[in-house]
Amino acid sequence: MAQGHDDFGHALAIDHRPERIVSLNPTTTEMLFALGAGSRLVGRSQYDVFPDSARAVPDVGPAMRPNIEAVLAQHPDLVLLYASDDNRAAYDRLTAAKVPAFAFKIDSIEQFARDTRLIGSLLGDSARAEATVDTIEATLRRVRAMTSALPHPTVFIHAWDKPIIAIGGGSFLSELLDIAGAKNIYGDSPLPSLTVSLEDVVRRNPDFMLASPTAAPKIEASATWRAIPAVHNGHVLVYDTTIVGRPSVQLGAAAYSLARLLHPREVK
Amino acid sequence: MSPMRWTLLVIALIVAGILGVAIGTIDLPLGAVVDALRGVGDPTAIVVVRTLRLPRVMLAILVGAGLGMSGAALQGTMRNPLAEPYLLGVSGGAAVGAVVAYAMGLGAAALPLAAFIGAVAAVLAAFFVAHAAGARGDPRVMLMAGVVVGAFANAVIMLILANAEANTVRNALWWMMGSVSESTWSQVAVLAVYVAIGGAMLIVVGPQMDVLSLGEDAAAGLGLGVDAAIRRVFLIAALIAAATVAAAGLVGFVGLIVPHIMRSAGLRRHRALLVGCALAGGTLVVCADLLGRVVRPPAEVPLGAVTALIGVPFFLMKLRRLA
Repeated sequence: MAQGHDDFGHALAIDHRPERIVSLNPTTTEMLFALGAGSRLVGRSQYDVFPDSARAVPDVGPAMRPNIEAVLAQHPDLVLLYASDDNRAAYDRLTAAKVPAFAFKIDSIEQFARDTRLIGSLLGDSARAEATVDTIEATLRRVRAMTSALPHPTVFIHAWDKPIIAIGGGSFLSELLDIAGAKNIYGDSPLPSLTVSLEDVVRRNPDFMLASPTAAPKIEASATWRAIPAVHNGHVLVYDTTIVGRPSVQLGAAAYSLARLLHPREVK
Repeated sequence: MSPMRWTLLVIALIVAGILGVAIGTIDLPLGAVVDALRGVGDPTAIVVVRTLRLPRVMLAILVGAGLGMSGAALQGTMRNPLAEPYLLGVSGGAAVGAVVAYAMGLGAAALPLAAFIGAVAAVLAAFFVAHAAGARGDPRVMLMAGVVVGAFANAVIMLILANAEANTVRNALWWMMGSVSESTWSQVAVLAVYVAIGGAMLIVVGPQMDVLSLGEDAAAGLGLGVDAAIRRVFLIAALIAAATVAAAGLVGFVGLIVPHIMRSAGLRRHRALLVGCALAGGTLVVCADLLGRVVRPPAEVPLGAVTALIGVPFFLMKLRRLA
């Protein structure tokens, strides 16, 4: 029997082993595959494309305000939603249709560990969830041990260009950065992400910029961004989108890749 | 308008309603739809028909009827073909209410009330502005006051959304595009009360609107208290529109084009015009919602976008005839 509450605050009560799962949340879809339940998926949202095999699962449309008819057409016995206010009505409708539904929103590493355990217990496989979480946490501890004695440079994590959106302290990325031996210049914000002004970035004067492979060349080529010494001096780091971009079972690998990026000589 | 046309208008609404309940993402044979309506057969079909489609169609009818009547009342009273419910600041005020509710994280349950309060506050503000300008009942001043309040509301929305979280922006934007996809029976019941009472009140003052549409001087000459009559119509029309906006977000163009269509169909007197606009408005919104559901499944096209897409060609035809 599952214990605990989902991120809408509903008790995780389910009286069967789910065999037909619809997951409308890229994070939980990827997690289901990692927990060996990929074959029990009968529907996913259009955004759920990790791992590659998720693409073979029928696409039932949007993850926000999903089409409930399309979800019900798959005859699910468990639906996992993204826990945003957009999806409250969907939750109510599924519950009215007597389909167990739970909502998860994973911003931090702690939430990832917690929700992995919860979903493991929903699937009836707590042991596997526990092992997955343990492996990730062990890797994170190992990376932290490698970097803790090193100097921690300050980093601006670039998430969006217009407007400029920075990753804040509420995001797993900020935590990963800390484990990888660096300091997020917006780590003082409790938000996962926040809109900031270029001047404020200049004021905080990061040692490095961390950006995606598509954003980095634009930043380096931009005259405005070059107002930041880190950019001017070529300190733009490009993270590996496939493992760092989202909270997944690869959190350990993500921390390790960031550590190597930030401390190329010390972390091999 | 001939009895034949009235019959067609009623049949159109009934057919649209039936199609709205019968068609959806899940293909259900008509027999299964009827069974589901009676509560027998496949439980999934019952849920789909009775809790997803039926309240949705009902809400669409009420939104269309409300906006249609509200628009008819305003156009007649203002003698301005561009008058529509949203012009009185209703839409802007409701949007401010909705955006504030989202930004404060009040949740979906508080949203209709917040939107309604915002809409009513904006209408009262428009009245106040018109009053302060010294022309309480002058339709032109009322219109301008509504435009000013709407512009102010826009500024407030931009201020809030510019620095809001992505979730808030997405929710607010979705709401501004209008939708009946998440309608519930309780929403249907609340809106039904507003549309029924508001509609009845408009029909009662229908003959006064007939007089007003002759022009204020003529109306005053016929012994009508012009200012009071105009204010009464504005307030009722705005309340109906506010209730529709609280239930379904911003569904544009309905309040503008439906009265035009009904007048060109031969409805002149306001009592008949209001009833015609209620029927045609309901039909239009049900059809627009259905269209939005079927063009790009499993995703849906926002209702407000569909009504605007349908509305623009109608309006262009109307323009051509005027020119």
